[in-house]
Amino acid sequence: MFDLYLPIAEISVNAPLLVALGAAVGFISGLFGIGGGFLMTPILLLIGIPAPVAVASLSSHVAASSTSSVISYSRARAVDFRMGGVLASGGAVGSFAGVEVFRWLRLLGQADLAVSLCYLVFLGIIGGLMLVESLGAILRQRSGKGAPPRRDKRPPWLYGLPLKMRFPRSRLYISIIPPLALGVFVGMLSAIMGVGGGFILVPAMVYILRMPAGVVVGTSLFQIIITTTLTSVLQAGRNQTVDIVLATLLLIGGVIGAQAGAKASSRFRAEELRAILALIVLAVGIRMGIGLFLAPEEPFLLMAGAG
Amino acid sequence: MAPALAPPPADGNPPEVSAALTTTTVQVTSGFRGARIVLYGAVFDPRDRPSDVVVIVRGPDQPIRIARKTRVGGLWINSRPVVFQGAPGFYMAASSRPLDQIAGFGVLRRLGAGIDHLAMNAPAEQRVETRYGVRDMVVSRLGADYLDWRRAVVRLKQRAHLYDADDHGVTFVDKGLFKSEIDLPTEAPIGQYRAEIILFQDGQPVSRRVRDLTVEKVGLERALYLFAHHWPWTYGFVSVGVALAAGWGASAAFRRR
Repeated sequence: MFDLYLPIAEISVNAPLLVALGAAVGFISGLFGIGGGFLMTPILLLIGIPAPVAVASLSSHVAASSTSSVISYSRARAVDFRMGGVLASGGAVGSFAGVEVFRWLRLLGQADLAVSLCYLVFLGIIGGLMLVESLGAILRQRSGKGAPPRRDKRPPWLYGLPLKMRFPRSRLYISIIPPLALGVFVGMLSAIMGVGGGFILVPAMVYILRMPAGVVVGTSLFQIIITTTLTSVLQAGRNQTVDIVLATLLLIGGVIGAQAGAKASSRFRAEELRAILALIVLAVGIRMGIGLFLAPEEPFLLMAGAG
Repeated sequence: MAPALAPPPADGNPPEVSAALTTTTVQVTSGFRGARIVLYGAVFDPRDRPSDVVVIVRGPDQPIRIARKTRVGGLWINSRPVVFQGAPGFYMAASSRPLDQIAGFGVLRRLGAGIDHLAMNAPAEQRVETRYGVRDMVVSRLGADYLDWRRAVVRLKQRAHLYDADDHGVTFVDKGLFKSEIDLPTEAPIGQYRAEIILFQDGQPVSRRVRDLTVEKVGLERALYLFAHHWPWTYGFVSVGVALAAGWGASAAFRRR
């Protein structure tokens, strides 16, 4: 009785269910400081939203939930706007390329293969690494040993590159090439997987760019807002696949969930949070990728939209 | 394509069929969850010969893209998609008896009556060549698998309730008076539908009526759909603007507490 017909997806969905899903994912996104797109896309696919519509509509949803959290982070002076700007200019190039690549894959009929593979590979790697790292941290804590001596040796190649720039808030003086490249990569993923890319940005900023942990989450959210805003406009303009009703339903739950999540995050230890997030990431990656290995029940599939 | 009707019998009035739909316009609103339309009609035959009625409903034509999963290096990967042309986005064939008992293969094929007789093919896969000395033979690159592909299209469409064949979907409620039901799922395509009501006697179509049905988006649904397709870039900016404002609004609302 609360079913709502989505004008672009052209299917009917249960409105309260979508709001609740938005809230749940929003809570997780606020808790861990991630966009939550990597969770939401698979859920939407599972309830039958066509992949192009799910991916495109989520960009605007992720933009909204990130805006809601980035404001709180910037108040706490935890956003490096300069670094965010460099990442975002790479991200802009990446999302232009990503939207075109996605369009091309759709015409080839390989869009869902690409989406599944990206999920399996990227979520599998990131989830695995995070799990190992956070379990190690938890075990060390339990056995009473302190943290291992932090290898503060920064990778020399990061400093050998030209075009250096000062990032006062991150206390860095590095070449802008690695952040730019990172931005391009994440921008492309954002267009193909319907994610913000925080799950790749955050670890990359910590382990590759060596940014201080305090500014990482806020800065990644800032860059995500810019990339997803752009992706969303591009998807609407090029592919006409942004469903504003779907995005709004997710939003209502999402922004409230995100605020609650951000409040709750102070009650947990950082390494425990990371371990839980790692498990979620791994589970989603495996769930999305497993279809590639199992013999399908129905070997044929209809594809949306004639190319 | 006007089907060739059998010539009227020499004696008296020819038999006729008449029919109407309870609804001629289905409006897709935000609460749309599919629709059921009742078709009712009557057979007028002064000589009361045994009659069969077949109802065929076709939605707007939609090219169908279908792919087959094949195993490549341990991974199940989509094949190159095949495009079928000429297939309707919605198809229903209802009859008072199984179709093959009502008329012969050739008659049904000519009328496009029944899912097996739907005229759809994959033109991109076809080429014309000379084989066994016969010129202009149409050969499909899908080869012997062609029927598998075609059957898969029908199976998947049936699963989505977009194709339906009901051997007893037309019921006679009284002498000469019949009815049938058209169930449109939520996924039913938007556009012009055509219901064709054909009266069969002795395996031949003797009378035919056509009724139109429109499925259209109305209200907010229509406005948003048109907006998104006619001004895609503006739509994109507006939808992102709404999203960013909502994010900012929520953050501001929570801070005040």
